[in-house]
Amino acid sequence: MNCQRFESVAADLARGRMMEADVRNEALAHSKACQPCALRIQDEEMLTRGLRTLVQEMTSIEAPASIEADLLKAFRQPRAATVPLRAKTNTSYRRYWLTAVAACLLIVFSVLAVRWRSEKVVDGESAKNQATPEKKVTVPPQKEVRNEEQIASNPTRPKPRRKRQFTNASALAKAQGRQNDNVLNHASSEVATEFMPLGYLNPSVLQDGGQIVRVEVPRATLANFGIPVNMDRYNERVRADILVAVDGTPRAIRFVQDKRLQ
Amino acid sequence: MKQQTELTDPELLRLMLSGDEEAFTLLYRRRHSSIYRFALQMCGSQQVAEDVTHDVFLFLMRDGQAFDPARGSVSSFLLGVARNYVLRRFRSEHSTVPLGEDEDDQPFDPVTNEPGPLDDLTRAETVDNVRKAVLSLPERYREVVVLCELQELSYVETAEILGCAIGTVRSRLHRARALLLTKLRPIEDAELTSSPAVESARCFA
Repeated sequence: MNCQRFESVAADLARGRMMEADVRNEALAHSKACQPCALRIQDEEMLTRGLRTLVQEMTSIEAPASIEADLLKAFRQPRAATVPLRAKTNTSYRRYWLTAVAACLLIVFSVLAVRWRSEKVVDGESAKNQATPEKKVTVPPQKEVRNEEQIASNPTRPKPRRKRQFTNASALAKAQGRQNDNVLNHASSEVATEFMPLGYLNPSVLQDGGQIVRVEVPRATLANFGIPVNMDRYNERVRADILVAVDGTPRAIRFVQDKRLQ
Repeated sequence: MKQQTELTDPELLRLMLSGDEEAFTLLYRRRHSSIYRFALQMCGSQQVAEDVTHDVFLFLMRDGQAFDPARGSVSSFLLGVARNYVLRRFRSEHSTVPLGEDEDDQPFDPVTNEPGPLDDLTRAETVDNVRKAVLSLPERYREVVVLCELQELSYVETAEILGCAIGTVRSRLHRARALLLTKLRPIEDAELTSSPAVESARCFA
């Protein structure tokens, strides 16, 4: 055993605490061989003796009898005093619990309300998305050209500009009427090329319906379709209608110009 | 049927909580002295020790249901309550402890005036010096010394009362004993280390 190990067991050795016999024998042997450790164990033993003397001196000390008398008096009388004290404590705890429960309920209801609203919005959107393919009608904002003769026969009316979707036949008819009016207005003030396919175009795709979207493209785009480009106005933009299929793929394009500029 | 004197502490406590005055008296007489001594050894004041003893048993009357047999004995429970009351007293009135924690590293005067080691002191002087040395320890060391050395509880019981690990109890006790030895060690050792010869030697260095 070395001095460090001895130091860790010195107090237990001096106090006479139970320890392994081997450790005890080694510690005693070390204390005989090592002078500082012998003094160390001597100090510990003196301290232990001093503490035990104090214990013996205090063994007979007891609390005054008046405490017992007071406590017995309190034990007999305090039922009324004790119970209210406990009730008061319970009330205060109950208040905390009620507050905590109310807070939890508030949080739960808030979360449910938010989820309910979000689900409602999602349901509405999904219903719209489901309704649209069945009708296969998506009215473009302005300029869908279907039938030149029909365009010509319809009167001119002010045009709504918002994109709208319709789910019943009457609304569809009204929308088509308004759309044709719009187209007529544009047709009367614009000239347009034929629709030119963008890549390979299966005509059957267009029978499923689609949208015409008015865009502006660089004038250089005209050259891609074999239309001569005025190089003086090379940086300008030119209007075009893009025919977008129901799957969102652009299928054809035509270029549009005001009659006044022609 | 068992007589009440043969009942265990938890059984007495249960009877006491159901309103049995005799059970309360018996439990008080069994445990009050250790509570009183603990408070006295911790505070050094009879008045405080009486107050703490009174408060502990009032607490037992009011909140005795808080005792959990799985967490230790009734004795440990009561000593834990007493400790809390004592610490509360320390925090509310620091003047209760006659010797402050600031004096930890200073030798204790009555002992340092004695020429010989502890075993040369008379019994009364020993008791007085040890008691004062214990009272001069910092709280965390004092309570371990009081519980392990003066109340002669095991490390396990002390750990239950203090709510800490057994290793913590061991290390605190080791440190506390070292502090006590420092306080109770004769003054000669300290004088040797601070003798004029040493000082002059350092001056020449």
